[in-house]
Amino acid sequence: MKPAYIMQKEIKESILTPKGFLWYILTSVILSVLSYLFLTNSELSLLDQGEMLYMIMNFITALGVLIGIVFGADSFAGEIERGTLEALLLSPVNKTEIAIGKLGAALTNWGIIFVISLPYLFVVGKGAQNLLIGIAYLSILGTLLVITFSAFSMGLSARIKSMKNSLIISFFVFLLAGSPIFLSAAQRGTWFGRILDFINPFADAINTFDSVVIDSQGFSYQIERVVIICCYTLLSLWFLKKSASRLEM
Amino acid sequence: MIISVENLVKKYNGYTALDGLNFSVEAGDIFGFLGPNGAGKTTTIRILTTMIKADSGNVLIDGHDVFREPLAVKRTINALPESSGYYEWMTAREYLEFFSCLYEEKASKQEIYKLLEVVGFHGKEDHLIRSYSRGMKQRLGIARALVNRPKLLFLDEPTNGLDPKGRRDIHDLLIDLNQKHSTTIFLSTHLLDDVERLCNRIAIINYGKIVRTGELDRMKGKGTIEDIFFMSTKEGTL
Amino acid sequence: MKRLPLLLSTIILAIIGNYALVFAASRISVSIDPVFIQANMGDKITYTGTISNNSDNVVNNIIAYISLANVTQGQESPMDLEDWSANKAIKVDAIPPHGTYEGKWPIRLIDSGSYVAYVMVVDKNDNIPVSSAMSRLEIKRVLRLNPNNVLPVALGEPILIGTVFLFISFKRRKGLRSL
Repeated sequence: MKPAYIMQKEIKESILTPKGFLWYILTSVILSVLSYLFLTNSELSLLDQGEMLYMIMNFITALGVLIGIVFGADSFAGEIERGTLEALLLSPVNKTEIAIGKLGAALTNWGIIFVISLPYLFVVGKGAQNLLIGIAYLSILGTLLVITFSAFSMGLSARIKSMKNSLIISFFVFLLAGSPIFLSAAQRGTWFGRILDFINPFADAINTFDSVVIDSQGFSYQIERVVIICCYTLLSLWFLKKSASRLEM
Repeated sequence: MIISVENLVKKYNGYTALDGLNFSVEAGDIFGFLGPNGAGKTTTIRILTTMIKADSGNVLIDGHDVFREPLAVKRTINALPESSGYYEWMTAREYLEFFSCLYEEKASKQEIYKLLEVVGFHGKEDHLIRSYSRGMKQRLGIARALVNRPKLLFLDEPTNGLDPKGRRDIHDLLIDLNQKHSTTIFLSTHLLDDVERLCNRIAIINYGKIVRTGELDRMKGKGTIEDIFFMSTKEGTL
Repeated sequence: MKRLPLLLSTIILAIIGNYALVFAASRISVSIDPVFIQANMGDKITYTGTISNNSDNVVNNIIAYISLANVTQGQESPMDLEDWSANKAIKVDAIPPHGTYEGKWPIRLIDSGSYVAYVMVVDKNDNIPVSSAMSRLEIKRVLRLNPNNVLPVALGEPILIGTVFLFISFKRRKGLRSL
């Protein structure tokens, strides 16, 4: 129950203060601009519906992960810097329970972002044959990625105790995970590029979206990538548990 | 004995903050913990309140080992740290309700209102914390520290930055808590006036060791509290 | 005077030889259909290239590809058909003597302007590639202000979220008494 109270407190803070709500508004504005760009641009609007759906799914995943990283970096280090963590640690809640509550709040944020994204997905993906299955994969893989990066960012926050530094490191890790996507198809096709792609959870998610939405491939094609993403999620959760339990003022 | 500290040692990167600390506190005391800056007061409080771990030594709080039973200790104690932050977007009532939820026995709305009244909140419990003065925040911190009706209350510089009226109000509150509710108070402060008014027993720490401890009235027979403090903490005393 | 017939014969032979060479290189001919298209941006059209084998022998392994050039006034340039067509080049294994082959080139009209399209055929046994005549293509720009009915969502959702936030803030302020 105690993690639930902490989660409730965090969610209230997101909803009642501009700190959280600004992210929701920004997400909506970004998705509005992207959708309009996709659908009205002279060349992009003539992309296959499936391709547009795939591209917007990637953006939604990236946004969700970025917001998770920011909230994660603030989770422990932000409270230390504001002087509020000590009061929380004085109460009979163990540090793992605090971490669970905060992670629950990060996931709820992702849930809100996902709900905000749904109308855009339906509008951009209208007519695409794999719209619903694409949304299902986005909900599952997006959730796993948000847990992975949020937990990692929270763990760093608990270890480094500096919001700025944990945010910078988390952001660089995110860029590293996202960097293969910026390489050309030829570069990713080399043996080293293929290995990097395979072990990278972000690339695994994006390649799964491609496989499901554009190539209409079934779950059996996705198993390996989903398993890798799950492994990263478990690793991140373990890192968070270890970091939170070692947290000292 | 509500607090028992034996041979407590804490080092930070080769620097010895606590060097075999030994002292005890009886239930019902208002115990003053004095020392110059850097003597080890805050480190001691942090260990006793389970915020940090010691390198060696034993600490029992109400019979519970601080290192092995931190949750049991936290149910018995509470604290107001020296620099305490607040969730500024909450009201005082919401703040206390939140912390009350984290204990087994959640305080009812009436109990929370009563607690706020006790610490001097009159009709301001539904204002946002960001609008409170420093004194009001300090009172709110004490209210939070009392939300679980602790047997033992740690206060680190509780009257810092308060005006004379604010200080007097806090003094009266603490005396009231001690006498009517039998709350043991562990008070760490620089302000010797506060010690003189509130405490029945004191310990003076310097360079991580207790240099003097005992009943305040007996010690005062040998001079003012200020004399005792300076004599105990001058260079070479150890 | 005696040399004049010789000179004339040489010239005639050279011309005949040249034509013979040309004729030999042009055992294939190609035409494109339709010769004129007027359409809108976003439309899909299909060109048909008819490749004829005018010789008495089979022609093998010929390559045919479609090209597009932008001839809009001031914007004349060759076109990269990357986004316009998935199959720009086709390989024909064999066309029998005096036979024909019809190749299809579906094209998606990505951008507006004036264009010419033509089919080129390459036979490795020949010296020169063979081209069809040019087909004129006029593509009209279409202004899409609200494709897929995106505007209600693109405008409506940020406004809705902002309104919800303002409502929540107002309700909270009303419930509190700030100093």
